[in-house]
Parts: sequence; C-alpha cells; structure tokens
Amino acid sequence: MIEVNQIKKVYKDGNFALKGVSFKIDKKITSIIGQNGAGKTTLIRILSTQLLPSSGKASINGYDVVKNPYKVREITVSIPQEARPMLWYNSIDLVRMYLCARGMNMIKAKPVAEAAIKRVGLWDSRYKLAGDLSGGQKRKILVAMALASDADVIFLDEPTTGLDPLSRIEVWSAIKAIKGQVILTTHYMEEAQALSDDVIMMEKGKVISQGSVGELLKSFYGLVRVESKRRIKGRTSYKVGNTWISYVEKKKAESFVLKDDIIKPISLDDIFIKKGVNLES
Amino acid sequence: MNLNYIVGHVVIGARSIKVNWPYMVSNLAFPLSLLFVVGILSQGKLLPFALVGGLLSIIAMNGITAVSYLGSLKFDYIYQDLIMTTKTSKIDYMFAHLLGELVWIIPSVVLYFVLDIIFSILTPYTFLMTLFLGALVSVATYSISFWFSGVVKNNRYTPAIGTVLGLLMITLPPTFYPYTYLPKSALYILTFIPTTPAVILAQGVFGIAPMQWYMLPVLIIETLAYFLIAKYLTKWRED
Ligand SMILES: Nc1ncnc2c1ncn2[C@@H]1O[C@H](COP(=O)(O)OP(=O)(O)OP(=O)(O)O)[C@@H](O)[C@H]1O
Ligand SMILES: [Mg+2]
Repeated sequence: MIEVNQIKKVYKDGNFALKGVSFKIDKKITSIIGQNGAGKTTLIRILSTQLLPSSGKASINGYDVVKNPYKVREITVSIPQEARPMLWYNSIDLVRMYLCARGMNMIKAKPVAEAAIKRVGLWDSRYKLAGDLSGGQKRKILVAMALASDADVIFLDEPTTGLDPLSRIEVWSAIKAIKGQVILTTHYMEEAQALSDDVIMMEKGKVISQGSVGELLKSFYGLVRVESKRRIKGRTSYKVGNTWISYVEKKKAESFVLKDDIIKPISLDDIFIKKGVNLES
Repeated sequence: MNLNYIVGHVVIGARSIKVNWPYMVSNLAFPLSLLFVVGILSQGKLLPFALVGGLLSIIAMNGITAVSYLGSLKFDYIYQDLIMTTKTSKIDYMFAHLLGELVWIIPSVVLYFVLDIIFSILTPYTFLMTLFLGALVSVATYSISFWFSGVVKNNRYTPAIGTVLGLLMITLPPTFYPYTYLPKSALYILTFIPTTPAVILAQGVFGIAPMQWYMLPVLIIETLAYFLIAKYLTKWRED
C-alpha cells in the first residue's frame, strides 16, 4: 500500500514540479501516465527515497519515505528512467552486482541473476559486454535487476522506452510475473491499458484522474475517436497540433466522416485530450 | 555495512580487466616518467626519493582521478541513484569503488616494490610502513574525490577538477625530492595536502631524510577529517 498525501516539490531552481499530489495505491500494477515534464519521475524519485519532497507525506507499506528511508529501501526497488548499465560488464555480472548492493552475497546472486536474464530474453547474449548490446537490450538488463530482487514494491520509470514491439511484450510478461506491487511510468497508452490494474494520470504536477482503465474510459463508452483536418460541425472538437479530434458514436462514424478522416478506438490519450492537454498521439 | 556489495563489486569488478587494462598502464605511466625525468636531472641522486614518492603518487593519483569516474557513474550512468535505493550506504559505495579501483594499480605497486628491492631500500619495516601510509593516502584522496563528485552539478567539471587536484596532490608536495628542499612556510601550507605528511614520513622511514614523527598524527587526523567530510557532507540523497 502506497499512500501519498499532499506531496509538493519545488526544485532548487524554483521549478514547481509537484503541486500537491495525493493518492493511494493498493493494486498489483499501477501505471503513472502524463506528458513530458508532468512530474512522474520527480514523484517516483521521492517515493523511492532518491529525492526529498519539499512538503507533504508519503509512505510505502507504512514506512515514511522521509523518516524511514532505510526501511523503505529494503522493501522497494527503483530503476531510474535514465539509468544505463555500466558498459564494461556483461548482463549477468551487472545484475549480480545489483543484488550484492541489495545485500545478497555474490555466490547466491549468480543463479538468481541468471534466471532474471533468461526471463527478459537476454540469455543468448549473456556473455556480451553491455556496451556491445543494443539500446533496448541495455534497458532489459535494468528490468532484469528489478525482476531478480524479491522486493515488495517495484518502481520502474519508463521500463519499455526504446524497446521494439516484441521486446516490449516480453518485458510486459516479465513485469506481470513480478511478485510484488509494481508502479511504472509510461508514454505508451496501450502499455498502461495492457498492464495496469490502476492508472494515475498526471498533468503539470498534479494528479488529474485515477482509476482502472475501464473506469477512466467509462464516459467514452460506445464512441470512437475521429481525427480530421477540419472541425466537425455540431460536435465538440479538440485541436491537437493541426488535427481536430472529436468523439462520435461507433455506428454513425462510418457515414459521418470524410475520406481522409481517421477513425481510432478510444484510448487513455482521449482523457488527456478531453481535459485539454495537448498530447500528440 | 554491506560487505556483500563491497566484495561483490571488487571481485566482479576485477573481472573487467579485459576492458580496464589501459588503466593499469596509465597508472604506471605518469610516476614512471617522472621517475625517469628526476633520475636524469639529478644524475641519479634523487632516484630513491622518486621511488618512495612515486609509489605514493600512484596511490594518490588513483584516488584523485576517481572524481571523473565517480562523476561519470553518477551523471552518465545514474548508477548512484540506482544503488542509493538499496541496502548500500554512501560509505559502502565509496569503499567498494575505492577498493575496486585499487585493483588497477596492483601492477604499479608491485613494480615499485621490485624497484625498491633492486635499489636495496626495501626492508620488512619500510614495506609495511609504505602500505600503511598508502592506505591512508588512498582513503584521504578518494574521500576528496567522492565529495567533489557530489558537489558538481554535471560531469563536464570533473576532469578539470581531477587535473587541478592531481597537481595539488602529486606535483606540489615533495614527492620526488627531499622535503628539506622546501622552504618551511611552503611546507606548512602543503601539509594540508595528505600526500605531504605521507611523503615526509616515507622519506624518514626509508632513512633518506630526517624523520618527522609529528607528521604521523597530522596525516591520521587529516585522513580522518577528509573521510568525515566524505561521510557527512557528500551529497547522496538529493534535496
Ligand atoms: N533536477 C531538477 N532540477 C530542476 N528542475 C527539475 C529537475 N528535474 C526535473 N525538473 C523539472 O520538474 C518538472 C517535472 O519533471 P519530471 O522529470 O518529473 O517529469 P516527467 O513526468 O518524468 O517527464 P518525462 O515524461 O519527460 O520523463 C519538469 O518541469 C522538469 O523540468
Ligand atoms: Mg520522467
């Protein structure tokens, strides 16, 4: 159970990154979504004790992240958004060293690291130095670190950014196999939809919605999204870049749109669009 | 204290020798070339000094160049943030990397001891004292590096800091000549640099300059002070 109460963060340069964020998470997998700069990473760094909040309270399974960081670190794993594996080690050694950092001895860590590397699909290149792996394979090493550690709560900041579609599915199934509670951030709406029991939507340092994908999309039931070059008459349209977006009943859509209009199924993007957030899909 | 991390990092780290061997070479290159220059300029007279100081310089250099390495782990690899959220404390982290990096100077240290034997200045006493002084210098210089890697806001600064600190730690103290050459005032100022008391003591231990035992507490207190700075003042969790 993660409880966040009125967390605010003002960075030293005056940047007001979190403007009072509150929520509770008790579901298995939660996705945090939001535009670049929404405050996702800031929030995750605060929850995983890398960054101190300016004010507010947050706790992980009852342990306060400010007052009791050591306890929080014992039960959580956090893979930073921009972390890169050190290029001069192979993937198994990297996971092993990470497990040692978590307190396991290096002998015991070996089979655990190997199992995790297998799980993320890196077995065939396990002896290659990380520097000789592709960008996506490097990210998979970091996911393997999270998998290998038997933590209660796992924070993954954009775990699948840069992965090809197949690898992404591979990592999804690895994430689903994690025993503990997972909190991840993502820019891929289909990822949030495919993985999460709970979604938190952030915008400019605030939480604007929280709920299951079904709950969040309830108001769009029976609708599709129409993207067109012009404003559709008689409908509320939202401008994103130079595209107009409106929502039309599924049945009517075919007859209603022009040839170069695009019809798309509803996704979490649409919540942002409806709230007036400029989100390129 | 997370010994598992320290051991794991050092042992697994040492296996990256295939990639890291240039460090072994570069750790040898600087003091050996100075040894050569000093030997030529003094027509061999200062060679014992250069030998005694050379070994301590290698250790100090290893500690000081770590500022770039630690900075790179912190800023380029976000490795410090990754490790911060584990059982590993900042001092575990510092010692794991200190010992991990010492591996790359083992050949240099061995070579220096061999040279000491060739010039017949090595005894069990000088050997043990050198290791002791080396350990203090290593902790002091590595602490300074660790602290600086936390001060800077991005990694562009660390090579420059490393160069300046390298000059301060190795070139200014009397590492390659008798400390008695230095004017008293300069000596007192340079005492704040941990290599200075270490070198003065080493020259005394090897019997090539008068012994100044009072430099021993100076070195120990300095090392402790730099260590405490690293322990309490180094930025770890960001605020
Ligand atoms: N170290 C920092 N110092 C000052 N401001 C920062 C710092 N880190 C982030 N910010 C600012 O805080 C805000 C939130 O950033 P954050 O990294 O949390 O966003 P994000 O939602 O993770 O974005 P992205 O999707 O791009 O990763 C941004 O306006 C950013 O410029
Ligand atoms: Mg981010």
